[in-house]
Amino acid sequence: MLEFRTQGYQGYSVKYSPFFDSRIAVAGSANFGLVGNGRIYILGLTANGIVAEKWFDTQDSLFDTTWSEAHENQLLTAGGDGSVKLFDITLSDFPVQSWQEHAREVFAVHWNLVGKDTFLSSSWDGTIKIWNPQSSSSLVTLPTHSCTYSAEFSPHSPSLLSSVSSDSHLRVFDLRTPASASNHLTLNIPIHTPPKPRMGTPAPVGIPPSEALTHDWNKYRDTILATAGVDRLIRTFDIRMAAAGPIAVLPGHEYAVRRITWSPHLSDILLSASYDMTCRVWTDGSAMGTGNAGMMKQENMLDAQGMVYGGGREMGRMGRHTEFATGVDWCLFGAEGWCASTGWDERVLVWDARALMQ
Amino acid sequence: MANQTGRNSSAQARLSQVSDHLTAPTGKKGKDYLLEKHPDDIVVTCALRTPITKGGKGGFKDTAAADLLHGAFKALLERSKIDPNLIEDIAVGAVLAPGGGATEFRAAALAAGFPVTASTKSLNRQCSSGLQACVDIANAIKTDMIEIGIGAGAESMSQQYGPQAVTEFSELLENHKEAANCKVPMGVLSEKMAKAKNIPRSEQDAFAASSFQKAIKAQKEGLFEQEIAPLTVKWTDPKTDEEKEITVSKDDGVREGITAESLGKIKPAFSKEGSIHAGNASQISDGAAAVLLMKRSTAERLGQNIVGKFVQASVVGVPPLLMGVGPAAAIPVVLEKTGLDKGDVDIYEINEAFASQCLYCINELGLDINKINPKGGAIAFGHPLGVTGARQVSTLLTELKRRGERIGVTSMCVGTGMGMAAVWIAE
Repeated sequence: MLEFRTQGYQGYSVKYSPFFDSRIAVAGSANFGLVGNGRIYILGLTANGIVAEKWFDTQDSLFDTTWSEAHENQLLTAGGDGSVKLFDITLSDFPVQSWQEHAREVFAVHWNLVGKDTFLSSSWDGTIKIWNPQSSSSLVTLPTHSCTYSAEFSPHSPSLLSSVSSDSHLRVFDLRTPASASNHLTLNIPIHTPPKPRMGTPAPVGIPPSEALTHDWNKYRDTILATAGVDRLIRTFDIRMAAAGPIAVLPGHEYAVRRITWSPHLSDILLSASYDMTCRVWTDGSAMGTGNAGMMKQENMLDAQGMVYGGGREMGRMGRHTEFATGVDWCLFGAEGWCASTGWDERVLVWDARALMQ
Repeated sequence: MANQTGRNSSAQARLSQVSDHLTAPTGKKGKDYLLEKHPDDIVVTCALRTPITKGGKGGFKDTAAADLLHGAFKALLERSKIDPNLIEDIAVGAVLAPGGGATEFRAAALAAGFPVTASTKSLNRQCSSGLQACVDIANAIKTDMIEIGIGAGAESMSQQYGPQAVTEFSELLENHKEAANCKVPMGVLSEKMAKAKNIPRSEQDAFAASSFQKAIKAQKEGLFEQEIAPLTVKWTDPKTDEEKEITVSKDDGVREGITAESLGKIKPAFSKEGSIHAGNASQISDGAAAVLLMKRSTAERLGQNIVGKFVQASVVGVPPLLMGVGPAAAIPVVLEKTGLDKGDVDIYEINEAFASQCLYCINELGLDINKINPKGGAIAFGHPLGVTGARQVSTLLTELKRRGERIGVTSMCVGTGMGMAAVWIAE
């Protein structure tokens, strides 16, 4: 396990470069992101451990970052002052471009993985905005009317995007739909809907809505999304049958889940980071040969007993963070399983998830 | 400076946003959550009772249960100043009244000034009927079936106590062992239980004497005055047969100078070698009690004075022959449901049906004896069966308020083998 200290800055997000297997960006904030500066680190993985190749300071906290899919030296930051900034790591000190339209903290930025000419941002002001790096103002504003912690483009289509927000809903927008009062909203799925009862088991109890903090599109199955948040459960949904409720429910985290991300290599594997200071590896039970094995009882699911659904299970956990784990990302290159995590303990850890998987 | 203020408030907003992430999953439970005020809390804006008087010779010996209830209703309307037209449902717990008392309680409500639109029902879950009535109303408010309601209890053991209160068992029931156990008289089974659970008479007497001592002290200090609504009734003097009008404002079963030694001289009531007697069991009594319930949002809109809130109740069945263990079974369930630790609770009002069963429950749960029935209990001032559950609410909330404490539990064992418990918070 490799380690880097982001001295004075608590990590909020970590992202591997899509171009280099040895480059990681980390967004951090002073004073736990409550007040003060932000800093984006560009870290290099070298034979001598992790070194900071560059960093940029910002006026306000930084909550998320994403690499440009079009340009290997550029990346975006999500700022507490409502700004979205584009940095070029060959330059110094200042961003190449800064967009100031959001009225409150921006909590997610994401580059279009297919179109590569647009990116999005989502904010506590209850909107998602779509941008083009060449344009000085946003192209589209999609309202969610609810503090939106996470928004993402589909990795399979340039015009599909999704979000989760504090109203406990997963929204899917399709930009190909005609402009209308629905603002391209095509699906609005209540995340807290309990799964359909299985034959021979009692109907699951209703769960109250709670804030959804993170979600991710599956990289292989183009209709599968995973969500997680304050109720500590990770759920997966199939947008072809949204009304059926979650297809997998994965209990286990002891506090809110801050970030989840599907493996770029294995279609059933998920990684999560939580306020309970752990990062965990999960299977949703969809891979061949693993289904039903997960129906056995897990020791940490006392509260959630009976809620595990879909045959998924926790495969292992990384408990080396000593404060809230906030960011986690998979490395796209090399042997499947390398990942990086960050947290409020001011540390970036690079580790191999395969070592944990059982 | 203006800029700075802006930054501070945004830092505050971010902090509360993040802390929401952490509190929400467990936030629905536990002491801190329960002490929060929410608009959909079920609150008590008035809880009172008539005095409780000795069966057969006390101040209410010639007053019908419905008349006692009428008195409690009148006092409730007067004290709370609630518009009677706003009351949508009234539940009255009663155990001995033939037909459950359904007819005369509805009549009592009308006579007390409630309009015909205020519906009334009676219900019977034995000794927990009064609590069940409050819980039924609270649940009806919670589900928006009604907006405002009254949970009450009324009992005249003077007039209605006796063998006619239980229907003869059929052969089918008599031939089923556990079913037939439901008929075993309370005293007999409590005697058996005291023996089986090894609770000596000396401890029972000490507990009973302390109940009397706590009650007489509380009475002298005027600690019951707030919860009691005095009632003027007709009363026939047994010596002269003369009917007079008297005003009862005190529990007349409370006696001074009771000690464990003085109780030690009383003959056991149910068997020669027994340990239970008139002095360490609950008294046969008359009385009524009423509790006005609504949502906090409603209370604030109407300007009602909130005295406490209802949090949660539990009901658990136990073997009929061990009915006395009811509180020991029901209290852990309600604590689990609310996420409270037994130490978080400031006062436990556990009905003293018999000193033996109450003591057993206290020991079994490992409760602090100083937190139990601080103003005495049914041994000292009586246990009018259907009233007790509603009576405990006023006793508990006034004492919590006086001490500046917050969390209380009311509980009782229930004949035929059940226990019920509820968590209340004083405000």
